[in-house]
Amino acid sequence: MTDAISVKSPALDLFREVNRAFPKTREILEHKARAQKVFGWLCTYVPEEVILAAGALPIRITGYNQEMDLEDGNAYLYINNCSFSKSCLQLGLRKEYDFLDGVVGGSTCDGARRLFDLWRHYLKPPFYHVLTVPRKTTESAHELYLDQVQIFTRHLEEFMGVKITDDALVQAIRIMNESRSLLKELYSLRALPEPLISGQETQEVLNASFRMDKVQFNCTLRELIADLRRMPAGYRPKARLMLIGSVLTNPAFIRSIEELGVIVTTDELCTSTRYWSDPVVLEGASSPLAAIARRYLSNFPCARMYPSTERFDRIVRLARESAVDGIISETIRYCVPYAHDIPMLSERLKSEGIPLLTLDVEYGTSGSGQIRTRVQAFLEMVEARKTC
Amino acid sequence: MLETKRTVIDSLLRAVRLVGRLNKNRPDSSPSEQLYYKMLDKYFSSVQNAKQQNGFVVSHTIFFPVEILYAMGLSPLHNEVTTWTSAMLLGNQLEFITAGAEAGLAPEICSPHRGLAGGYYRKMLPVPDAVVWTNLICDNTAKSGEYIAELTGAPSFFLDHPFDSSDREKAYMQSELRELVAFLEKTSGRRMDWDKLSQSVAEMDRQIKLQTEIAALRKARPSPFTTRRFLELLTVDYMFAGQPEATEYLTALKNELAEKVQKGTGAVNPERFRLMTLFLPPIHLIPFLENLFQEHGAVSTVEPLFSYWHYEPLDPSKPLESVARKSFLIPEARTMYGPLGENMLRELENLAREYRIDGAVYYAFIGCRHTCATIKLFKDLLNQMDIPVLTLDCDIVDPTINNQNEVRQKMEQFFELLEDR
Repeated sequence: MTDAISVKSPALDLFREVNRAFPKTREILEHKARAQKVFGWLCTYVPEEVILAAGALPIRITGYNQEMDLEDGNAYLYINNCSFSKSCLQLGLRKEYDFLDGVVGGSTCDGARRLFDLWRHYLKPPFYHVLTVPRKTTESAHELYLDQVQIFTRHLEEFMGVKITDDALVQAIRIMNESRSLLKELYSLRALPEPLISGQETQEVLNASFRMDKVQFNCTLRELIADLRRMPAGYRPKARLMLIGSVLTNPAFIRSIEELGVIVTTDELCTSTRYWSDPVVLEGASSPLAAIARRYLSNFPCARMYPSTERFDRIVRLARESAVDGIISETIRYCVPYAHDIPMLSERLKSEGIPLLTLDVEYGTSGSGQIRTRVQAFLEMVEARKTC
Repeated sequence: MLETKRTVIDSLLRAVRLVGRLNKNRPDSSPSEQLYYKMLDKYFSSVQNAKQQNGFVVSHTIFFPVEILYAMGLSPLHNEVTTWTSAMLLGNQLEFITAGAEAGLAPEICSPHRGLAGGYYRKMLPVPDAVVWTNLICDNTAKSGEYIAELTGAPSFFLDHPFDSSDREKAYMQSELRELVAFLEKTSGRRMDWDKLSQSVAEMDRQIKLQTEIAALRKARPSPFTTRRFLELLTVDYMFAGQPEATEYLTALKNELAEKVQKGTGAVNPERFRLMTLFLPPIHLIPFLENLFQEHGAVSTVEPLFSYWHYEPLDPSKPLESVARKSFLIPEARTMYGPLGENMLRELENLAREYRIDGAVYYAFIGCRHTCATIKLFKDLLNQMDIPVLTLDCDIVDPTINNQNEVRQKMEQFFELLEDR
């Protein structure tokens, strides 16, 4: 069942190659060689458009692609911080991100904010900025967040010695919205009754989107979509699942689920749907920056946002749209916002009649062993339910 | 209206009164300590009697501006202090924690907040008339209020505290407070008494000054304040901020400490080791630590993350703005929330010098991710000043994590190290 779907596409191969080489990809190194700046961002509340409009390359800071011994991460962030923060910091401490001209984050969760504190103190990046991100989406919260985005923009202008014009912002919005639109199209091919692409392959695409020049990414993704559309038929899985929860970038985790004969047809992760779901809407906005700020704060919410029902509603909607048979929620240990949501989310999904499996994981895990056993048991339950 | 079902408040109230009575007969008990227990009695009686007296109980999480609730004539119920004072006096920690697990919360979530949810899940805590909470100072506080609101079914309001303290963020905080007042007026049917809030701000201003004066007195050698009473310094603000009795308590305490300093009487005799406390000791071990410290002549002189206030004048003529400003002055908010900048690190160095500390103890509470993430940073800093740091892995409320022998052994090894120096 391993290769239930196996997409043959040079475009997908290119994405895989980018991910294999990350953080120090050929493209990033070439970018640096041209004396162009590269900024690392962490967390989906950081507006990439602003970095793009400044003429720099935004790349997402992530951790190791696999579960690792986090000796340095544990020493600096202590044992009780999430393995994602520790994995990112360890890569930084080991100079894997030494090409970065700056880091940009948001005050999104305790793990992230302490990661930034230590990154600044020990790694001393040339540029450093953390945006205050409100936890609400009221009008006053939107005003505060717009102010934060404006401050970030000015700070970046000052550092780069450039003017970030409205025209440049509009252009960046177009590029990013195109990425979002293409990813949405890709997801529609994944959600077909016989999906044309698997969840693990989709994650490869998403990971590459964080690590490539956006224009080149869009171009390559367009090629991949064309290749997929030329495929004769998809694969009818024995069950369709949705994956939700903490940050996840390791496609091997999804692969370990899909090896059981299922397809993860949709997801709700900050490294997947929550990254691309909502476009920036220029119409009606007072300025490009205002449109950007509004989109980022009111985008598909992470578990940090209040009220949680907004997240739950969108999960249910996605699950229905993608006709999933069940949901797997993975929570990285010490990822408190997601762990806190579990009791309320469980109740909500129960009331909706959607089966839920909750897994405690470490960032980077490939999902073998105990996790696989639990998924197998869940699938048996889901299949039995389908036949009833 | 508060349900009258028998809850932990009844037992807590009896325990508070018993301790209050016992204190009167203790030779080392001071007027401030006796006053403190009277305050607790009044506080929990207000919650207890809410039903009969047409009261309106508002359950809230830590670092919530209770000044607002008092000014509206509402009865605050501080979730964390209520739960863990109960645990300390009644020894029912495990009941709360077990209930938290039943409520579905993972063990990685901090135990005090698991316990709160458990308390409401099992109805050990009374069903309040409203639930309010803030995100100060961590993800746990941000999330636990919402779950408590869900469990109790009470109307609720989340007060979003901004991350940093720019003018724009302070203005956002004010707008949040305005919405809070509107919510409370609507749900309780009571009006905000702005004059009363102004008086609270004036009291708050005095209280912050008194806290700084108390902290200054603790610099004396020997240092006069005992570990046993450390939590009083915190809860007096957590529960009674802006209330006249808090001013009375802090004034009495300051006078007592001033007298001790004048007479050269220390909390321990002889004073051998002056310590800096980072984070909180396990609450259930405080009496044990008090004895251990007495035995070895150790005293905590300063707690930079919890009891060290900075004074900035508050303006009673601008009550809401002042309540917002005060929320940024709270030591825990100032030191553990917001970006950890160079100012904080320099303050730690200065405090180590000013308080002439011999060593620091970092209570590494396993449930508190954001503070533990500073252990290495603070340790590096203090070690550069040739100050040893003991890191003690612990849980501040779960009694199954540390036993007294283990803590004694680690502390005694640390004291030996300090002695050798």
